[in-house]
Amino acid sequence: MLVIEKLNSGYGKLHVLYDVSLTAKRKEITAVLGPNGAGKTTLLNSIFGLADIYSGSIELDDERLNKMPPHMISRRGVSYVFQLMNIFPNLTVEENLRLVARFSGMNHKDIENSLKEIYDLFPILKERRRQVAGTLSGGERQMLAISIGLIKRPRLLLLDEPTAGLAVRYVDMLIEKILEMKKTMDMIILLVEQNVHKALKIADKVYVLVSGRIIFEGTPSELVNKEDIAKMYLGVG
Amino acid sequence: MFDVIILFITDLLAFFGIYLMLNTALNIERGYAGIPNFGLLFSYAGGAYITGHLTAKIAILLTGAKVEADPITQPVSALMVLNPILASNPLISIALLIIILLIGASFGALLGLIQLGPAIRLREDYLAITLLALGEVMNYIAIAYKPFINGSLGVQVPDVFSWIGSRYRFYLATGIILLIAFILYIYAEFLGRTPLGRAMKAIRENEIAAVSLGKSLTRYRAIAMIIGSAFTGVAGSLWTLYSGAITPTLQRFDWTFLPWLMIFLGGIGNNLGVALGTFIFVLINRLIIFNKHLLAGVLPFDIVWFDYISLGLIMGLILIYRPQGILPEKPYIPKNIRRKIVVSRSQE
Amino acid sequence: MINMIETLISGITYSSLLSLMALGITLLYRTTKVPNFAHASFVVFGIYTSYTLALLGYNPYLGTLLGFIVSGIIALILFYALLEPLRRRKSSIFILMMATLTYDILMFGIINIYADYLQTTFKIPARNVYLAPQDFTLIGLKGVTIVSTSLLIVLLMLLYILLNRTIIGAALRAVMENPSLAQANGINVSLMLALSWFLAGGLAGVAGALLPMYMMTDPSTGMLLIAPMFCASILGGLEQIYGAPLGGFILGLATTVLVSWLSGVIGYWIMTYSLMVPYITLIITLIFIPRGVVSIILKR
Repeated sequence: MLVIEKLNSGYGKLHVLYDVSLTAKRKEITAVLGPNGAGKTTLLNSIFGLADIYSGSIELDDERLNKMPPHMISRRGVSYVFQLMNIFPNLTVEENLRLVARFSGMNHKDIENSLKEIYDLFPILKERRRQVAGTLSGGERQMLAISIGLIKRPRLLLLDEPTAGLAVRYVDMLIEKILEMKKTMDMIILLVEQNVHKALKIADKVYVLVSGRIIFEGTPSELVNKEDIAKMYLGVG
Repeated sequence: MFDVIILFITDLLAFFGIYLMLNTALNIERGYAGIPNFGLLFSYAGGAYITGHLTAKIAILLTGAKVEADPITQPVSALMVLNPILASNPLISIALLIIILLIGASFGALLGLIQLGPAIRLREDYLAITLLALGEVMNYIAIAYKPFINGSLGVQVPDVFSWIGSRYRFYLATGIILLIAFILYIYAEFLGRTPLGRAMKAIRENEIAAVSLGKSLTRYRAIAMIIGSAFTGVAGSLWTLYSGAITPTLQRFDWTFLPWLMIFLGGIGNNLGVALGTFIFVLINRLIIFNKHLLAGVLPFDIVWFDYISLGLIMGLILIYRPQGILPEKPYIPKNIRRKIVVSRSQE
Repeated sequence: MINMIETLISGITYSSLLSLMALGITLLYRTTKVPNFAHASFVVFGIYTSYTLALLGYNPYLGTLLGFIVSGIIALILFYALLEPLRRRKSSIFILMMATLTYDILMFGIINIYADYLQTTFKIPARNVYLAPQDFTLIGLKGVTIVSTSLLIVLLMLLYILLNRTIIGAALRAVMENPSLAQANGINVSLMLALSWFLAGGLAGVAGALLPMYMMTDPSTGMLLIAPMFCASILGGLEQIYGAPLGGFILGLATTVLVSWLSGVIGYWIMTYSLMVPYITLIITLIFIPRGVVSIILKR
């Protein structure tokens, strides 16, 4: 379980998040929604040790993540899929996956199994496994980026707008895949999304972040009922 | 005692003037146009050496003096003829000074363009490599090509300041250096407020955005480099005229690293800051040099290396703790727009 | 004819040394994204390491090993004292370049103090370091030629194995490709950068240790080397690690063999200007192939 309490964070003198508290459970998708510039990416960066934390706590399964450098947090079983620059463009698809797997300390057998799982989830990547990653299409690239996050079988998967800028057919497909991941893999998924409709469809729990503060916490159906919030900040309803 | 103080102040002001010219030039190149000129030495040495090469030759033309000795290889006998004529002829001396400074400026500008040219379209790091690498060339040319300034022996140049009387010669030279430095400083400040200067700064801030707005990267880089290198060339000329002689030993430390240190100290982009940084640095530096004999016996090595280490450390600290300098750059907003901003703010 | 072969051998020696220096510059450019203007200082520390060993009566070739360590440490100090604090503050590439330039000045001061110290302690002119008279010969070849070319080949092979066959090398490549993603996947980027600085410093140290067997050196030899080193590195391609030796050999042979041939054709005076070859090559490269020779080969 991921538990964030009274988190204040930002970058140097730029205070972004104010008293943010959030809980995300295993085998659930927790979605963080909100307008541009609300601090959604900063929230993920704070969890991953990429932002400055002024006060509050971040705990994953009762272990504090605050003050750890990113590479240590990664070794605690956290995967962060960036929105951009999220692959190694000059390596092949399989090199990308194997490289990351090797640093997670998995043994040879685990790597092969994990690779098979990923190719089952994204068959297109198996077809393209000898292709240089930089030459993939936008959707395929995003699948590879998520696979890089999955290969080490994380406890917590952070997804930063995985569908941003993708063609419609890929958006639907990726959303399906995220749902499938939730069912088949035992992990916490924290999803930051612009595409509110799609996110509400698959999320188990929703937080709405506006100007660095949480203004709503509940299930997707509760959010849809709160018309003021849904309309004003999310353009839904 | 009084004489010593006057001497110290004259020397201090001359150094301040020379460095102010260099640092203003560097500020136009880096502070305005974003050019990382790590090869300031090239146009500075160019200005200094061309002055060493041409001053006597032009003096012969202007005075019509019959000089049989070659002014480059036998400067002493040439100067024995030329210096008395110049000393009794203020007008010719001044004309000679002006001509030499114009030559120094044009030669400096040309060298700046040659230096920047190969990398003018490329990224900042390639620019820096090219400028730094070419910075060292001028000394090799001057050493290899004997007719330029007599190889590593160097040359002496005619004295264009001695007409005021040998007692006041250094005061006059220092005064002229300060006057020209002041004029160049005012010009740089003015340039920063013109549309040209603002276009340069726009390119420095965001190359892609500025280029997409139709600002030509190469054109503004070239203009900044021409102006800056012309200043640098003038500074080199004045240095040779002030010292009365020049050898091909101008160092990257003195004539590239120290100017960078001073503009970092004062605040890149801000002319007033640059002037302040220059003054503080030159004052401290001259005080140390003036009192060097006190340290000479104490240190087990040549004191000049102590400068390299102490100033290197100071630069490191500035880079880490205060890269914006004492007086950071403030955005300049033209008057007509300033009023509009005030109006629109009050309406909010 | 014999003269020409001698020149060619001398050119190969020079090229090998140049390649070792350029290799480090390219490596650092790939990992830290900064042109290292202090690289010449690393070389000069190598020079004085083997010189010191020679003064103490040891075989100066031991300097290759010790020089690797000494210059590697000098590079590590630059990384941890200046570059890493600046990188943490998200300083621009320009500030990082300025920092390497500053370190070069600092090291120039230190090496000169050391030369002064040697001068007073051993009563020798420590500003003209030339060890070629002590060199050995084997089957008619100078020791420095044999050692520098074979060391270049061995070190290149070791570097290849490190980068492509080991997990640390994989981490280094990941850092070159995408540092933030590498960090996000458990790679200690700071440690990998430090490793690249140690390796690059070490390679420069090896080259420096061999240099006094080849030519007359002194503390300011570094200033002479800045242009050829960067020229070789850019000529090969700043983005291509294995382009560095290619650039090193093209430039090295141009400086020695081509100039020597030209002096026969045009006149001996041209030798005086052999120093200008790197500058001219640099200018031509930047204008016509700024991404280096390897970029042309890869395109085909």
